[in-house]
Amino acid sequence: MVKRLSDMPEVEANHLRRIECPTFDDTPALPGKPLNGRRVVLISTAGLHKRGDRPFRPGDGSYRVIPAETTAKELVMSHISVNFDRTGFQQDLNVVFPIDRLRELAAEGEVGSMASVHYSFMGAFPPAAAEPHAQHLAGLLKADKVDAALLVPV
Amino acid sequence: MPTTSISLVREHTEIVRPPRALWVTFELGRPLGIPDDAPFQRRVVKAALEMLARTDSPLIADYPEHVEGETDFTGWACPINLAPIQIDSLAAEIDRLAPWYDRAVGRRGRTTVGVSGLAMPAAGALVMRALDGALPPAQVLKEAIDDLRAYYLEAASAFPSPGSATTRKKWFWEETKLAQAVLALQPRLAASDDPQHKILANLTLIPATERHRLG
Repeated sequence: MVKRLSDMPEVEANHLRRIECPTFDDTPALPGKPLNGRRVVLISTAGLHKRGDRPFRPGDGSYRVIPAETTAKELVMSHISVNFDRTGFQQDLNVVFPIDRLRELAAEGEVGSMASVHYSFMGAFPPAAAEPHAQHLAGLLKADKVDAALLVPV
Repeated sequence: MPTTSISLVREHTEIVRPPRALWVTFELGRPLGIPDDAPFQRRVVKAALEMLARTDSPLIADYPEHVEGETDFTGWACPINLAPIQIDSLAAEIDRLAPWYDRAVGRRGRTTVGVSGLAMPAAGALVMRALDGALPPAQVLKEAIDDLRAYYLEAASAFPSPGSATTRKKWFWEETKLAQAVLALQPRLAASDDPQHKILANLTLIPATERHRLG
């Protein structure tokens, strides 16, 4: 179990300490409907995409589109970082991208519905490289009537 | 857009201050905790989604469940002889793994190999050519090596006594010709005039935890 960076192997912790994190002045936790009335999108930073889509490259702040009906066997990962486990993903997509869990929660009525399309970025981007893509994506999400996003790191 | 999130590195989340974050203590690469454990994953997803009801941001909640480290089989040895024999090659090693890879794909019904678009023997040949001095573009080499690494680890998961993911990664770095080749490539990439080769050499080829293996 990893609690804090100080509990990690030193080389791994040092690598993570060196990553520059952006800061933001505001933290807008917007209100909304109860969960059983929300339409939820998954947004991953695991560098996932369909086999044959453009792989991610260093500095790439763009996203790839993962339609809700995409099956696990269609997805690959081209995250540039080698500093995280990939065997979990090799065993089970949902340990990285919980699309089946979200589908189940929607089917059971705990979540209102799931977005028709989900998304993956590749987390090792400079924030400025992703910003225009993220702003464009926000508009697309509204068009899909999404009113909640679950952001999943890797 | 109302957001909620999962956090793997609390220190980073404390700086970025997203509106809502569920901090989990799982291994990097496993934000939902445990592969093939749907009830566990579901609890994590629900806990993150239920935070949407809160508006007292920035909010970091500590997820109460933890995952203990995998059982490590001390002395685990690869049950099939993949150790390099006297006359051996990367191509032969890739070929020997094929039936185990096929078995893994058959069991899981999927593979995560396939970013490079190369067949594994061709990816291996690319690595050998790079070692001989013909460095391909960094992106091409990166995708080929990442695919090979996935191929090896998926194959190893189908060995008769596969051990844990941790022991399989140890096997990869300590016993395979591919890892030897990757480690041998690193200084050549670092010495290249191409900045993309240098990024590969210094950041995106060898995990931080394995760099001690470099000479």
